[in-house]
Amino acid sequence: MARARRGLEVNGHRRSLDGVPDDERLLDTLRGRWRLTGTKEGCRSGGCGACTVLVEGRPTLSCLTLSSEVEGSAVTTIEGIASDAVGRVVRTAFEREGALQCGYCTPGFVLALVGLLKERGARVASETLVEELSGNLCRCTGYVSIRRAAEAAREALG
Amino acid sequence: MGFELLRPATVPQAVALASAAAPGELAVLAGGTDLLLDVDRGLVAPRRVLSLARLPWHSHRWAKGGLTVGSAEPLRNLELDPRLARRLPGLHDAIRAVGSVALRERATLGGNVVRAAPASDLLPILLAYDAVVDVVGPEGRRSVALDALLARSREPALGHGELVASVAIPTTADSVYRWQRVRPANDVSQVGVAVVRSTERPYWRVALGGVPSRPLRLHDVERELARARPTREELGRAAAVAGASAPFVSDKRASEPYRRRVVALLLTRSVEQLLARATPKAG
Repeated sequence: MARARRGLEVNGHRRSLDGVPDDERLLDTLRGRWRLTGTKEGCRSGGCGACTVLVEGRPTLSCLTLSSEVEGSAVTTIEGIASDAVGRVVRTAFEREGALQCGYCTPGFVLALVGLLKERGARVASETLVEELSGNLCRCTGYVSIRRAAEAAREALG
Repeated sequence: MGFELLRPATVPQAVALASAAAPGELAVLAGGTDLLLDVDRGLVAPRRVLSLARLPWHSHRWAKGGLTVGSAEPLRNLELDPRLARRLPGLHDAIRAVGSVALRERATLGGNVVRAAPASDLLPILLAYDAVVDVVGPEGRRSVALDALLARSREPALGHGELVASVAIPTTADSVYRWQRVRPANDVSQVGVAVVRSTERPYWRVALGGVPSRPLRLHDVERELARARPTREELGRAAAVAGASAPFVSDKRASEPYRRRVVALLLTRSVEQLLARATPKAG
């Protein structure tokens, strides 16, 4: 089916989807074509949260999303987080709390937390916040500091 | 290898594309959380994938004392509707049992119905609510009880070219869904029990997931519960019947004897929870 491709808006910049196969995952388009390698590949099956990006402001697993299906949408990756007000707060909280060790899971955690705080607002209950971050895995087991960063970000926005 | 993505903008176009495809040639993409994994694993190799993304099936609405959910509506949108936990608490429980938040931003009720997975967390509560599925196809529209649609294991009773348009829950009766897993966030449930409590007969409707064929209604357990406020003994008998009669098997997730013990406990706790929060009534 031939059609004009509208592309995507990634971190505020237009990106063309010309030449991107229909079955290509957003994760591979971001990393392989556009060299936005801040987004990480983890399990590639929707179970670890490492590849989380925002699509239209909502946390999305880029390993289970076809680039061609989100054509026309606005995508935010970790590279664009500084131009988002909530993103800056979350980044600062992660820095202050030292909420990372090897850092591989960090982009996914940051984007998931930004998405959650946008969806639920800063009045979200602590237990909801923690429960809803539980889809992101950290294999350095640094969850305590990540949890502190999540609480700090929520407080800063409240 | 690879597939072409079809993104029809109208329902007639979608039905025409689905009807024109040869068997096995086309797969339907709702959220894609199962389909794309199957493609990666080489379990399916569709030449064309029909996306529901542009169809007007991305919403849910409350009407006639119940809820109708478009088949491409992400579970997350339901979960974020504050009315869900109040009006259909068991469906809220079940949705929050599915994957992670980011997974629920894509996963759908419609996809779960078509997938018909025996361990689905959503099908037991839908069965207990007597959910009705609205189907469109080359012959027009029809409504079918979810229980009938799930007649065969892992293979919903849909005709060639038929698509699930929506899933309707025709009541707002109180309910609970409880599940058992090794790790809450990332595992599939070993056992799931859904209990709906109505204010009129039949007072109790119970459904079970984690059995090898398909999620099931437990009519014999419903008969044991029977009364609006069953006694401790009646509840004990119902739990024993659930443990004895459910068609469990041992598999990689849990053993059969373990599942039998767990289902009795989940049923007991669910009924106790519903009785504790129900307004006292005669009977």
